[in-house]
Amino acid sequence: MNQAEVTKLMSQLKIALKPRHRNLKTPLGPEGRLDKLRQTVTALIKYERIELFYNRADEARGYTERLVSDALRYGDTHKPMMEMADYWLLEKQLVHKLFKVLCPRFENENGSVTKMFNAPRVYPADPKRAYFKRVVLELKGNPYPTITPDSSYRNKNLIHNVLLDAAMKDFYAEKERQQQLLEQEQTLNSVEESKK
Amino acid sequence: MTVHLQNSLWKLRTSSNALYKSVYRRCFSTQDVIEHRNRLFNNEQKRQKDNVGRIEKIEVRYLGLPSNETLIMNKNLSTPFNCAQHFSEAVCENAVLALINGKKLWDIHRPLEESCTLQLLHFKSQDPNLVNQAFWRTCSFLLGGVLQRILKENTGLHLHSFPYPSLKSGSFVHDISLNVDNWNPSAQDLKSMSIEMMKFATENHNIERLEVSHEIALEMFKDNPFKREQLPNISNQNKGVITLYRAGDHIDISKGPMISSTKYISKVKIPSVHKITKEDSNLYRVQGIALPSGFTLSAYAFDILGQRAKRLNTMYLPVESADPIHSDEAPSMQQRI
Repeated sequence: MNQAEVTKLMSQLKIALKPRHRNLKTPLGPEGRLDKLRQTVTALIKYERIELFYNRADEARGYTERLVSDALRYGDTHKPMMEMADYWLLEKQLVHKLFKVLCPRFENENGSVTKMFNAPRVYPADPKRAYFKRVVLELKGNPYPTITPDSSYRNKNLIHNVLLDAAMKDFYAEKERQQQLLEQEQTLNSVEESKK
Repeated sequence: MTVHLQNSLWKLRTSSNALYKSVYRRCFSTQDVIEHRNRLFNNEQKRQKDNVGRIEKIEVRYLGLPSNETLIMNKNLSTPFNCAQHFSEAVCENAVLALINGKKLWDIHRPLEESCTLQLLHFKSQDPNLVNQAFWRTCSFLLGGVLQRILKENTGLHLHSFPYPSLKSGSFVHDISLNVDNWNPSAQDLKSMSIEMMKFATENHNIERLEVSHEIALEMFKDNPFKREQLPNISNQNKGVITLYRAGDHIDISKGPMISSTKYISKVKIPSVHKITKEDSNLYRVQGIALPSGFTLSAYAFDILGQRAKRLNTMYLPVESADPIHSDEAPSMQQRI
């Protein structure tokens, strides 16, 4: 009964995690794989937007999410947390960025702290890598212009909106006119009937 | 023109040279007329360029992405497009219309005349109303060019004019005169007209602007009775200057401004042609809708716009030339074009 819930022992990730790991080329074994992922996580924390192949990006994304959510959960006075930050961030000044910049930024963030977008394949393609999917991985709240157009901003003056708006007004005006004609007819009919 | 006319011309030529000249003037084929206009346009353009003389520098303060910069450009030579070229291809692509000193609209390929601030407008900029209007005007203008291309010579086509652009009216229009009574193009004809206009657009012509004197304009449009009649009015209101626009080989009178190139026109539909005068003269109003590239609209929504554009657009209907009230209506002619 007094046992703690497992889900509350670990911070929950806000991204959909695939049940199986992504395959990466790891000639140096499991450690080499982790080294690669450390490089990617460091780069993401440093540059806030990076473009790379899908597999490595998706894998590194989970580790970044976990790192940031742990940092939010434990703060910078927690020894294991500091060790973890020290392990994942190869450039040590980024540890300060994690706690002093990213933690305040994501304090009230409800969703994930990263975003991933499909990117176009490079043309002409390197024949060895032509089939690899490319993505853009970024931290939310980065200073760059947005990748997708801002859908929250609806511009009524865009040309198709102006045309459709005018068509809609026209449609309702016509409908109202028809309605009035119908009413007039009905009143005329009723007057004639009452005369009879 | 026709074989018959050519034969008669031959006879005239042999009989009297002077008479031949006067008749020949009226018997240009459409192609000759277009070539003649373009020749005059080119000559005048070259003359104006040569007249610039010693190159003076002006300071252009560019406001916008990627950063605000001050550029040193050539007076009466550099255009807003040249300014955009200093930044990137993307800026050039997005330059549809320019705004000078925050208030005056300026065509992208029109040389700058003095130091100014420059903003480049696009269909998706914050307030695209002005660009939309220029787009609509350009569509009307190009529609004239398309009609001139596709209508055969025996139809006796004369472009009349096109009114001030109004998006809310639901269609862009071009008024034309034909010697055909009750022209009623089939759905297939209209479709091929739309396709021709899209083809014209993909030819990717820069739209050029040129200010010419009244005399040159009269010489250019001497074969067109409607333009001949409109020109004095326009030049009177504009201090003897007529503004011409050219896309490809199509030249027309317009106050402007227009968008920078035909390539921005992607989807076109010509839904209807209406006869707008009574029996004695054959003025027709050709109506169309178009969307700039980069705008996706579902087929259903586009069809709604097409259906609406089928009805006669009653904006600025031209007054019949025989009508006595024409002289009172004259000032509105300037607005029409």
